[in-house]
Amino acid sequence: MITRRDFLGYGVGGITFVSMGCGLNRLLARAAEGAAAAEKNDRVLVVVELSGGNDGLNTLIPFEDPLYYQNRPTLGIAKEEVLRLSDSVGLHPQMGGLAEQFLEGGLAVVQGAGYPEPDRSHFRSMEIWHTASTAATAPATGWLGRLLDAVAPEDLDVLSGLALTGGLPQALGAERIVVPVVAQLEALVGTDGSNREKLLKKLSTAESASAAPVAFMRRQAQAVYRAAEKLQDAAAKYQSPVEYPGTGLGEQLRRAAQIIAADLGVRVLYVSQDGYDTHSDQAAGHAALLEDLSASLAAFQTDLTGLKREDRVATMVFSEFGRRVDENGSRGTDHGAASTMLVLGAGLTGGLYGTHPSLAQLGDGDLIYTTDFRTVYATLLDGWLGCPSEPLLGEKFAPLAFLPA
Amino acid sequence: MLASHFAPWTPGPGESFDSVLAAHLLRRAGFGASPEEVQQAVDQGLEATVEGYFADTSEEDADYARVFDSLAGSIVDLEDPGAVQAWWIHRMVHTRHPLREKLTLFWHGHFATNYNKVGVMPLMQRQLETLRAHAWGDFPDLVLAMARDPAMLIWLDGQTNTKEHPNENFARELMELFTCGIGNYAECDILEAARAFSGWHREGAEFVFHAEEHDFDRKTILGRSGRFDGGDVVDILMQVPATPRFMAGKLLRFFAGEPAPDVLDEAARLLDSTQLNIKWFLRELFLSRHFHSEACLRKRIASPAEYVIGTVRTLGIRVPAAELRDRMTAMGQELFAPPNVKGWDGEQKWINSATWPARVAFAQDVSQLDGESPFGRRLPLEATVPLDLTEPEDVVARLDAILMQGGLDEGVRAALRELLVTTDDGAVADTYRGDEGVRYQRNREALATILSLPEYHAI
Repeated sequence: MITRRDFLGYGVGGITFVSMGCGLNRLLARAAEGAAAAEKNDRVLVVVELSGGNDGLNTLIPFEDPLYYQNRPTLGIAKEEVLRLSDSVGLHPQMGGLAEQFLEGGLAVVQGAGYPEPDRSHFRSMEIWHTASTAATAPATGWLGRLLDAVAPEDLDVLSGLALTGGLPQALGAERIVVPVVAQLEALVGTDGSNREKLLKKLSTAESASAAPVAFMRRQAQAVYRAAEKLQDAAAKYQSPVEYPGTGLGEQLRRAAQIIAADLGVRVLYVSQDGYDTHSDQAAGHAALLEDLSASLAAFQTDLTGLKREDRVATMVFSEFGRRVDENGSRGTDHGAASTMLVLGAGLTGGLYGTHPSLAQLGDGDLIYTTDFRTVYATLLDGWLGCPSEPLLGEKFAPLAFLPA
Repeated sequence: MLASHFAPWTPGPGESFDSVLAAHLLRRAGFGASPEEVQQAVDQGLEATVEGYFADTSEEDADYARVFDSLAGSIVDLEDPGAVQAWWIHRMVHTRHPLREKLTLFWHGHFATNYNKVGVMPLMQRQLETLRAHAWGDFPDLVLAMARDPAMLIWLDGQTNTKEHPNENFARELMELFTCGIGNYAECDILEAARAFSGWHREGAEFVFHAEEHDFDRKTILGRSGRFDGGDVVDILMQVPATPRFMAGKLLRFFAGEPAPDVLDEAARLLDSTQLNIKWFLRELFLSRHFHSEACLRKRIASPAEYVIGTVRTLGIRVPAAELRDRMTAMGQELFAPPNVKGWDGEQKWINSATWPARVAFAQDVSQLDGESPFGRRLPLEATVPLDLTEPEDVVARLDAILMQGGLDEGVRAALRELLVTTDDGAVADTYRGDEGVRYQRNREALATILSLPEYHAI
């Protein structure tokens, strides 16, 4: 197993994918410095994945553009219903909670987020967003996994990253550490600690030089036991009057607030909301998804304020791609390219960032990206989490102004 | 052929087709097996065992069709996903043709269709029967059957694919995930292929061709031009060299484990030479030197189906299939509901902090099963580990033989012997040897422990 000492001393491990030759040693040295600095930083990043490809054009609506209404004869959102953020764009009418956050200055809306030569495959595009790499062969680690490999302390009792999703997102795939998935962890603890349980814990977590699948499963088992005990404690201590929507996303964010309140040393939390692959009869389903998203995030923000943690948390929302500009014959939209990203938090400067993509000049029927999504990652890594982004992303991206450089 | 990895396995000096290799074959080609079945395979030898896997299935098919017809609508509610899931799990547990159910599971993961979108459970059941009927047949026939399958037409929006409004969803996944894999076609090939499938629709539970919605114009797909329809697209894709390679890789990962590059090269040539006939390919694989080598033995991580069904078959456990369904779902494998169109990723993705506790919980709970079901003892452990074995050493050796074919480390065996004679109140060595009731309980504790060990989940 790669240790933190290896990482700081020799730079092997989590960032080996940045094998781009020149400047490697310099990058590694800076990653090590950054890791040391980031240790003192106790800020949290919550990532919200909208799975399936969110229709950015019906999330942030260019209500003054006639081309929008021409391309969206049944799906277009009427101008008077749009929740205006500026003279030209506004949020979907079901996103009142987030519109309010925008007015209060705590919501950054990033327009036209994407990457060059967009891929319309869910899996490939998700892989690009999760690994922050457009290289033909994707790195084995995710961007958040590499971050945690760099900043997670050696202390096994600190839970640096947690996934509240059903499985482990590729973004949290790491080399040095194992990121636990919160769901069902309680099943393993909370029993009586019999001889058999003690023996099982000992045998199933033993360090070993055995065959790969067994060694892998033992590492997983270690992470399970460690995390289960911490989370049980966090849930028991959490008290809050805030009511979240009774949805999967609402529940995931409520658990996120519990975990943040418990000060477990968490730096990254990952939640997701599924259902955005709206190929047919999109209007009602998409509205319900956005309403859930907006209300859940607003509740989360209120909860954090009540828990006095709002200054320590930023939340980023992304999807693997947007949808095609013109709606299809099934009152839905097919896979597209550039879309809208959101960043929410009391500690950032809200507003509109980037420029809205043109609806006149399209790439193969899709919006052409105006902001590389890794610009947002870089801004959060450098400006929020205090960990130099260049070694983790393999490239330097100029930050956006929603955080001080 | 100059095959090395796929040359027939022959025993080296001091080797034989023993219980280790027989159990390996039974785990991979099926879902695990009782000690008696392992012994039977050893007695028959490798070739006869493999040949037996491809035996005529018509008798079982007739049995299941008759029982299904009599239960459908009453015991098995065809509209209830849980009931249809449980029905399949019941068959995995009881089938006399485990390879066919295993292959059906493979194809379900390959053409991963999810009932949550399809919404019509009888169509999911019908798709399953199509997968089963083609399980070890010619791959091109299966691909064509899936292109016309009603559940698939809903799942990937084929039913809304028209000349006026081509829907790319099926055409894209056909290339990316079902045949040749990403990187072997261009975006324009997908658009053209979508046109070729236009008008391939569904009416109720039947495939229909709507000529008025079909685009009869010329298409150019992967460099070939013509007035192609969906069948032509399938033919073209079957001739792409990447297809046998992509499929050989998937079959190897499922049955043998992640292949080294030279193994994959050879497998791709082999599958190509059989013209994508699955039976020929798998027979060669199961008989091969590679399959019986250290590169494969216990080098895969059991899927929830392999772990749950395998444990049930190995120990002769009798629990309702609906309960097994819930367990598998908690472990990340809900049948008819793969996570996305790519199917289950498998291997390391099976194991995370959500699924590992679910596996441990299953081990604990089945080990504590007591009493009778309508069909016999729910956990007939005493049939394989007789209660008149009183020495901890013999009991641990017997459990090791049944579950791990003697593969447990000595350190683990020693800890298990200790566990047998130590309760939470202290040492009970004498009571263990002298009291059948204590042995009954303690043996189950040792069983639960072995079933929870990472070693047992490496199959």
